[in-house]
Amino acid sequence: MTTAALPQVPGTRDPRVSRTSRVTRFAGSPVLRLVVKRLLMAIPIMLGVTVLTFWVLSLIPGNAAQQLLGPEATPEQVAQLEEQLGLNRPGYVRYGEWLRGAVTGDLGRSIVSNQPVSDLLGERLPVTGELVLLAFVVSLVLAVPVALLAAHRPGGVWDRISMVVSTAGLSVANYVLALILVLVFAVQLGVLPAIGFTPLSEGLWPNVRSLILPSAAIGLPLFCFYARFLRGDLVDQMQQEEYVTTARAKGVGSWQVLIRHAFRNSSFGLITVVGLNLGALIGGTVIIEQIFALPGIGQMLLQAINTRDFIMVQAVVVVFALVAVVANLVVDLLYAVLDPRIRYGSR
Amino acid sequence: MKHRTMPSLVLAAALALSACGGGNSGGSDSGAAAPTGEPQQGGELTVLEDTAFTGSWPTGLDPATNTTGGANLPMMQSIYGGLFLLRSDDDGSNGRVEPNQAESGELSADGLTFTVKLRDGIQFSDGTPLNADAVVFNWQRDLDSACTCKPTWPLAAENGITKVDDLTVKLTFSQPYAAVLASFPTSNVNWIASPAAVQQQGEDAFKIKPVGAGPFTVVDNQLSSKLTLQRNENYFEEGQPYLDRLTFQSIGGDQPAYQALQAGQAQAYEGLTTTPLLDQAQRNDQLQVTVQAATSPYVIQLNTKSGPFTDPRAREAIYRATDFEAINKGVFGGRYEVSQSFVAPGGKFYPLEVTDYPEYDLDRAKQLVQELGGLTVTLGTISNYVATQINTALQTQWQEAGIDVTIQDYQLSNLVQQFNSGQWQAMLQTAGAWDPASGVGVAFRFSSASPFSGVADPQLDQLLAQAAGTVDEGQRKQLYQQAADLIAADFYAPFGLAFAPANLAVQGVHGPGLTTVIPAALVNTQVIWDEVWREQ
Repeated sequence: MTTAALPQVPGTRDPRVSRTSRVTRFAGSPVLRLVVKRLLMAIPIMLGVTVLTFWVLSLIPGNAAQQLLGPEATPEQVAQLEEQLGLNRPGYVRYGEWLRGAVTGDLGRSIVSNQPVSDLLGERLPVTGELVLLAFVVSLVLAVPVALLAAHRPGGVWDRISMVVSTAGLSVANYVLALILVLVFAVQLGVLPAIGFTPLSEGLWPNVRSLILPSAAIGLPLFCFYARFLRGDLVDQMQQEEYVTTARAKGVGSWQVLIRHAFRNSSFGLITVVGLNLGALIGGTVIIEQIFALPGIGQMLLQAINTRDFIMVQAVVVVFALVAVVANLVVDLLYAVLDPRIRYGSR
Repeated sequence: MKHRTMPSLVLAAALALSACGGGNSGGSDSGAAAPTGEPQQGGELTVLEDTAFTGSWPTGLDPATNTTGGANLPMMQSIYGGLFLLRSDDDGSNGRVEPNQAESGELSADGLTFTVKLRDGIQFSDGTPLNADAVVFNWQRDLDSACTCKPTWPLAAENGITKVDDLTVKLTFSQPYAAVLASFPTSNVNWIASPAAVQQQGEDAFKIKPVGAGPFTVVDNQLSSKLTLQRNENYFEEGQPYLDRLTFQSIGGDQPAYQALQAGQAQAYEGLTTTPLLDQAQRNDQLQVTVQAATSPYVIQLNTKSGPFTDPRAREAIYRATDFEAINKGVFGGRYEVSQSFVAPGGKFYPLEVTDYPEYDLDRAKQLVQELGGLTVTLGTISNYVATQINTALQTQWQEAGIDVTIQDYQLSNLVQQFNSGQWQAMLQTAGAWDPASGVGVAFRFSSASPFSGVADPQLDQLLAQAAGTVDEGQRKQLYQQAADLIAADFYAPFGLAFAPANLAVQGVHGPGLTTVIPAALVNTQVIWDEVWREQ
């Protein structure tokens, strides 16, 4: 039975369509096929990423035992701790053991503290998640209006100002920006905290307040990049595309053409860039969490690398890789939402 | 040696921003600001600790399993208190190890037994007694630890640790060991954990929420991130601790820490090493800066076992080409003292008057290099701010004498690799401790048995062993004097700057080791947290 031609009121279910056929239709939908295909592709990606991480960690001289004991340790002390931590076994055995656990959802225990990795992730993931989300909001909420304003009159005052600001922002590394932000807003003005994280349980405002400076430190350079990128694309659309000429000929106002037509097309490029930049966004948390003393997984990753705790490093890398895979999938799905012509799987 | 590997990015940022730290000019200074007024009860204190050293406790805070215990003195002292504590006068002089939870510690005249008597009536915060059984239980666990902070006791094969009565424990050594008391303050045997809590919770849970008989109890412990403590109402010293709450917050380096102090997010920071920030802090009248007393001076180790420094003339050329006074003045504003041996101003036995120390003499250095037909040296060190600054200065000085110098700074593991390979030539390191025989001590850099020594001299080995085993302090000093003379006479390793990090505290905070000077027993000063207080 085909249901494609049946008229339907939005938001209601067609009583003539059986439950089984709805499931069949959903299972056959191109979007689901895309999702399943991408998730299946994630398996070799995860394997590749974890093997690579393990291999790179094994290339760095020193192991957890030596790092923990420090420069005063004698070779005997190092050997004793290696034995205790199980580091004297071959690398492939340790990786194999980790992988066996990981596929069953058991990420193991930190080789340094012997605490369950899932517990530690559970404690720290929300901090980083919130930081990334806020940085994301900071970058986009600022980038879109600034780019629109600049593209409205290319070469005008706003365009020039935005150009200067973006170029300056792009030239400053986020950790330097972090220290400057602290100096201005925490030390001189005293309006925001310089370090530390206040959990949501202590109130929404204190929680957000504790993350404003760190998220700005990550989000502002990205804002500058997105604003430049979007502005360039918008100007191209406005100057070269025929649909813009048509709209203008029909008497549509310039702001309306910019926002309703050009921006909609330019947003494709922006979404692609945002998706690709997610890695930079998450990567930025590592050093920023360190500077702002935030107990997130970026800080945990750095500590784990410093102590050569490969189990912890693997766990964080798996999380980062999963986020990247899912983010790219979401970007692809967003294309379809933005442009009805795109239907995955259709010819 | 100071194990401080500040992330290079943060360091770069710190340098970039060091000029704009917002310090108030014309302020007062540093040094030993003695506590003023009567200590007051109450208040909270947040103390920042550098992630690269003190602020990293990845294996938890159980003395028997904390492999970084020697770095985590603040956390360990607050939770466990300590059987003995290193105290001194407010200016850092007259350092001595005093009983704390112990009532006394007596070394027998032959140096072969050490008897610890405990104070009566001390309880752990869980209400169980801190008695001889608890101490024996702890010491036996500690000796199995992999931590470099475990004691290097030469215990007798049988009955090394025995319980004498309910409050007395005796250590029996196979050879005299004079530094036993001095080695307590930074060793895991000083921190007694509640055996009942260890057994009830299990080791994995105990290392996160340890139970001791110290001034504070654990509220929350996020490893290497944040440790929140509250007053131990059961504490044996009446009226102490003064603070209601104490938080140790790990932070990524000197610059963020300095800014957090200025922003009022924390009230103290331990272990500042970045010199430009130290200058700034000393000009800031909101802060008290206490430069700690150095106990382990820098030394240029020369590998006398292979390479160019098998030739004594090459070693003498290095002595003659090295001018630490100039480095101290030019790079560190003349802030530190320059030592001619392995003891430093904060340590026991300082100064050792070295006879005929080969002083800086550029002409003699040039002449020696010429005699040798040139000298090519690789000078290494661990990657940290102070050490790399010194090495850069040394390179310039040595080049003036015609020595061809390559400098190299290593991360910890690469440094260890260099020593293990035996192929290294010269290394800038630190040597010694408050008591030269405690912990890794001076033998770590100079004994034939140590993999981190460039010297293999039976006469020096014998002197160091004798000094470690002699009970009489006067005789010990003489033996160390002879060892220092021998090192200088054979040009084994020129000594230099006695560097020590500084502690920062905002105005109105007082406490021994934080706003007064206490010599570092090994690397960092032990603040006595029971006695830290805040003006209300």
